[in-house]
Amino acid sequence: MSVTVARDVTEHVKPPRAVFLPFRMGHHFGVPFHTAAQRQIILAALDLVSTATRSGEIVDLPLRWADLRREGAELERRGGA
Amino acid sequence: MAPSDHGQQRPGLWETVNERYPGSMISKDDTVPLAPLRRPLSEARLTFVSTAGVQPKGTLPFDVVHPIGDYTFRAVPSDSNPVDLEIHQLKYPTDGANRDLNVIFPIQRLQELCDEGVVGELTESFFSFIGYNMDPDLLERTLAEDIADAVEDQLADLALLSPA
Repeated sequence: MSVTVARDVTEHVKPPRAVFLPFRMGHHFGVPFHTAAQRQIILAALDLVSTATRSGEIVDLPLRWADLRREGAELERRGGA
Repeated sequence: MAPSDHGQQRPGLWETVNERYPGSMISKDDTVPLAPLRRPLSEARLTFVSTAGVQPKGTLPFDVVHPIGDYTFRAVPSDSNPVDLEIHQLKYPTDGANRDLNVIFPIQRLQELCDEGVVGELTESFFSFIGYNMDPDLLERTLAEDIADAVEDQLADLALLSPA
């Protein structure tokens, strides 16, 4: 399973299973200390092992970069994730 | 399916790089068949393969300034503490990873999922290399084969991939 922030590159490479996140490069699993989101992304990728029906399909995860940044900042402000 | 990048923060990445460095970007005509998992996830052995350029401190740094790239990989013990790892690469922003390595190399989250029994086991090592490799054929003949052999040697049932 591939976790990608570059949909176009992934469409060219065609890994059998992929999840796409509209995140910054270098931040495939989200923002610092947002452990819940990091975990959610991994679990979504692992879920594809049993749910994927077509090789090459790219699944969009319902996460937004702006939301994660805001939540991450709040977690840091409160002193932990 | 025509290439697209809707929602992508840096649109047109493949075309942009391939125009600047013709032939440097991988493009496959066909997909590979979906391989079924041979045992339940809670009994399976997971590995992680990343182009993040993460490596244990004290190992030979990746050659990040070689004109055609560095076609070697580093084994990263899967029980590593992030403080014992470092990043050598120049091609993606590391501001997040410098504060929490898990944003690009989620080793602690994977350790937790294993401890909780969501995943059966982690391979002894994870695998990391740099994404700046300008010769796709050389990459497939050497680095990709070397990592595939290493993954097979460690009896992985499935691999989580993260092209940084």
